[in-house]
Amino acid sequence: MEHSPVTTNPLIIMMINMTVVFIVLIVLMYLIKLIHLVDPTKVKEEPAQAAEDEEPLVAVKSSASTSAPKPEPVDEGISPEIIAAISAAIAACGISGQVKAVHIVNHEGTAWRNSMRNAQCLMRNGRR
Amino acid sequence: MEALNAFSVSLQAVWNDSGFSAFTAGNGIMILVGLVLLYMAFVKEFEPLLLGPIAFGCILANFPNTGFFGEEMNVMKAINFGITNEIFPPLIFLGIGAMTDFSPLLARPSTLLLGAAAQVGVFVALGGAMLVGFNVHEAAAIGIIGGADGPTSIYLSTKLAPHLLGAIAVAAYSYMSLVPMIQPPIMKLMTTQAEREIVMKELRPVTKFERVVFPIVSTIFISLLLPPIAALLGCLMLGNLFRESGVTDRLSDTAQNSLINIVTIFLGTGTGMTMNAESFLRADTLLIIGLGLVAFMGGTAGGLIFGKIMCKLTGGEINPLIGSAGVSAVPMAARVSQLVGMKSKPGNYLLMHAMGPNVAGVIGTAVAAGTMLAMLK
Repeated sequence: MEHSPVTTNPLIIMMINMTVVFIVLIVLMYLIKLIHLVDPTKVKEEPAQAAEDEEPLVAVKSSASTSAPKPEPVDEGISPEIIAAISAAIAACGISGQVKAVHIVNHEGTAWRNSMRNAQCLMRNGRR
Repeated sequence: MEALNAFSVSLQAVWNDSGFSAFTAGNGIMILVGLVLLYMAFVKEFEPLLLGPIAFGCILANFPNTGFFGEEMNVMKAINFGITNEIFPPLIFLGIGAMTDFSPLLARPSTLLLGAAAQVGVFVALGGAMLVGFNVHEAAAIGIIGGADGPTSIYLSTKLAPHLLGAIAVAAYSYMSLVPMIQPPIMKLMTTQAEREIVMKELRPVTKFERVVFPIVSTIFISLLLPPIAALLGCLMLGNLFRESGVTDRLSDTAQNSLINIVTIFLGTGTGMTMNAESFLRADTLLIIGLGLVAFMGGTAGGLIFGKIMCKLTGGEINPLIGSAGVSAVPMAARVSQLVGMKSKPGNYLLMHAMGPNVAGVIGTAVAAGTMLAMLK
């Protein structure tokens, strides 16, 4: 139902609205903290995530500047053939240098992370 | 002779029914405005997905005798129905929700405060609009431009000041597209080099449980508190739930691709259709565009000031640059924080940290709109 405004004083409207916005978002902030607190999967997922973050850096010293790099043994689930293919693809793009690390990317629910990763790659390559 | 007479009468009838017979200078000016907007959208690539349909809708709206808004139903009237009855903005929010990753916000909930602080621009513009003579409903609709959230601006305008919809929508989307130009000078002016160089700690991992429960809990809380925005916020969170549940990939895909693309065409064209010469060519329009800029700059400054406060309170853990992302132009405002941070210190990646206040800004703007609706409607 439509009714007339409680006040038409700009300052009062501004103060009331700003206060309400802050209160709502502060309550939301505590709700988020509460969700984190009661999260039953927290204990299981956090160590797994931490392990995942540490694990996938696979040292590779193959050269990308040569067309047939010599992949070294890799023991983290990435086969030397894949490393060789990545190095060859990079070399084919005309980028010289070494593949220092290969990182397994977890795509699940990390759109912003992927976006940032892409931005980093583009910046590193001087495209923006 | 009879044939000549019939020919003459027919020609006259064609002329009388044509748009040329009723074409006014105002229509001509508005078609030129539409062409300029088209140029900005397609050549300069300023928000082309939205500004393009808005510009073309503006051109269409200024053809006389089209009968678009007559008594008979037609496609343009149907599109206009979706605008004036607040159907399209919530559907756009459904798609935005499906595209949004709330993880940075969930990992650092305190960034919600930056999203709240950036709403200061909304209320500064509201006060300014009332001071220059707009009534309180019009001022509230103008002020929401500062939230840099197109669908919310349209939603609030149709409820509080439908006659200003065209000007408000154009101002909102224009400023959103100008974020990379408007924000950096303010960011540099309000922060020191040392503050801009702050490297923030990596965010904690967020579990699927948190990502699924958050949209449900926030919808229940905010919709109960502010029912006028239940449609907007509910659709945003439903879209997000499609994304995070992991079992509704088809719905998520539809919401973030097909649906949002279709609705964007309708929303843009319908908004442009409100820009006819009679309602747009007024001094008020220039005032609205000016006040929109004040709102936008105020929002950016508000976020930065609160970012500086949080920086002090946390002993230098927060880079104040992420405060400017509190305006809800997602993800452009966050990318601007990232770029300004990178220029100050190469290798300092702020994007993930800025996404927190950025998505908080979307919620904050919706809350601001809901508060104003609750107070004024």
